[in-house]
Amino acid sequence: MDETIQPVLEASGGPPVLVLDGELDLARAPSLQRAIDQLRADGHSTIVVDLLGVNFLDSTALGVLVAALARCREAGGDLHLIVAEPRILKVLEITGLAGTFPLHPTRTGTLFLAGEANGQ
Amino acid sequence: MSAQEHQSFDPVRGERIELSFPATVDLVVVARFTAATMAARAGFGIDDLEDLRLAVDELCISLGPLTGDRTLRLVFERSDDAVDIVASFVTPPEATTIDSLPDHAIWQQGRELSARLLDSLVDEHGGEIRDGQRCTWLRKQRSGTRS
Repeated sequence: MDETIQPVLEASGGPPVLVLDGELDLARAPSLQRAIDQLRADGHSTIVVDLLGVNFLDSTALGVLVAALARCREAGGDLHLIVAEPRILKVLEITGLAGTFPLHPTRTGTLFLAGEANGQ
Repeated sequence: MSAQEHQSFDPVRGERIELSFPATVDLVVVARFTAATMAARAGFGIDDLEDLRLAVDELCISLGPLTGDRTLRLVFERSDDAVDIVASFVTPPEATTIDSLPDHAIWQQGRELSARLLDSLVDEHGGEIRDGQRCTWLRKQRSGTRS
């Protein structure tokens, strides 16, 4: 699948948001990787990934998010996840990552918190 | 359980579906769809069904990179209270190494996560070499029927 995931750039100057939906699997993981790489290349060290519309997350897509989290933190930023779907939360808990990512149940307030925490 | 033990499947009491398709990432959705169907027919609840759908995805991933240059074979067997799935490559890859794949890093960085997911989602899983080809397998029982 040759998909392009376009970030939503906040007019307020807050961190960019990647809004994802559907099934995030091995077929879509490379697109997610490219979108995150592009944001980092554009100078963003803090990224928000909105998973509210995602109903399936496998180890490859999760691995992309874990690697991105590490790179964001190396650059002094962070990678925030917006997630409410129980299935996705279960995947994070099973893999021991629920306490690793900054998790937010809604987008409201997340952008402020993410930007505030990283001086943006 | 091993892949060989699946040979004792009872066709009178259960169902068996075999799928063979090009081993590409785009087609793993077929495996998920079939797993969900088998789980529903085995009377799995929605949580078990979703677990099996993710587990078969991880089973395919754990087999090796899906490079499109070989055939992926999946055997689904449903018994009274469980679903067994065996995944294997039918044909060897043609001059493809993991390091040469464009997205090999993505596949590699998810491997440990994949093992953790399988440990949690299914009752048993494993991998072995059969007829010179690696195969991976899993077994998931319906909740409330585990001994």
